[in-house]
Amino acid sequence: MSVWVVLSVVACGGAATVIRYLVSRAWPVRHVWGGRGRLAGGVLVVNVVGSALGGVVLGLAERAAISADLQLVLLTGVCGGLTTFSTWSVETIELVSRGRWRSALLNAGLTLALGAGVCTLGYLLTR
Amino acid sequence: MRLILAAFLGGVLGTSLRFAADVAVPHTTDQFPTGTLLVNVLGAAALGWLVGGLWTRPAVPAWLKVALGPGVLGSFTTFSAVMVSLVAQGAAGLWTLAVGYLAASVVLGFAAAALGLWLGRLFDERLTRRRDIA
Repeated sequence: MSVWVVLSVVACGGAATVIRYLVSRAWPVRHVWGGRGRLAGGVLVVNVVGSALGGVVLGLAERAAISADLQLVLLTGVCGGLTTFSTWSVETIELVSRGRWRSALLNAGLTLALGAGVCTLGYLLTR
Repeated sequence: MRLILAAFLGGVLGTSLRFAADVAVPHTTDQFPTGTLLVNVLGAAALGWLVGGLWTRPAVPAWLKVALGPGVLGSFTTFSAVMVSLVAQGAAGLWTLAVGYLAASVVLGFAAAALGLWLGRLFDERLTRRRDIA
């Protein structure tokens, strides 16, 4: 692993973090579904997009279409920086602590279902 | 602009820490991704602690919140790595491992976030009370 690969991973992680920050600031937790639920839209979007890209990279890596270095930069740097587990879980638990069980289930379930769905799709389309 | 720089620098630090954890605790497709699970559980607990405690104080500057929250802890933890591991495990037919990993990530991650929020509020209340007495 060269120093350039390490620097690329870290720089892509920083840049992807800026994108996640801007997207989550543009779409904070808000009412959806005609006011019947609340959803952290921005965090959902970055997590789903990052999972889709992760699936694509996994598929390409399986048939050795991309180098191990590029795989590291894309998965650990771009996807890792773009997506977040901490904000997703803390926002969901905050919805629970305010008694918004339906919103919490929606936020957790939709992220998991869409994230796993697009990641699988990306993998199957590119492998 | 200052907030964007704060997010970038926090992201660089968080990504470096996660990268180091990946290198320190590597895993193959047929192994349980312990490193990612630890990173996500620790990150969720730490963010909960900050959101429940420190964040509620008006004196904390916005750049510090952005650098530590979405910056360091947001980029330290990862959702995509969990999904990628699940798809790789499923593709290899390792369904018990996939279900176990998903359940462990969700249950332990959410429990860590809840514990962090609770401890943060508790710590903040104690600090406020001590100040009132003084």
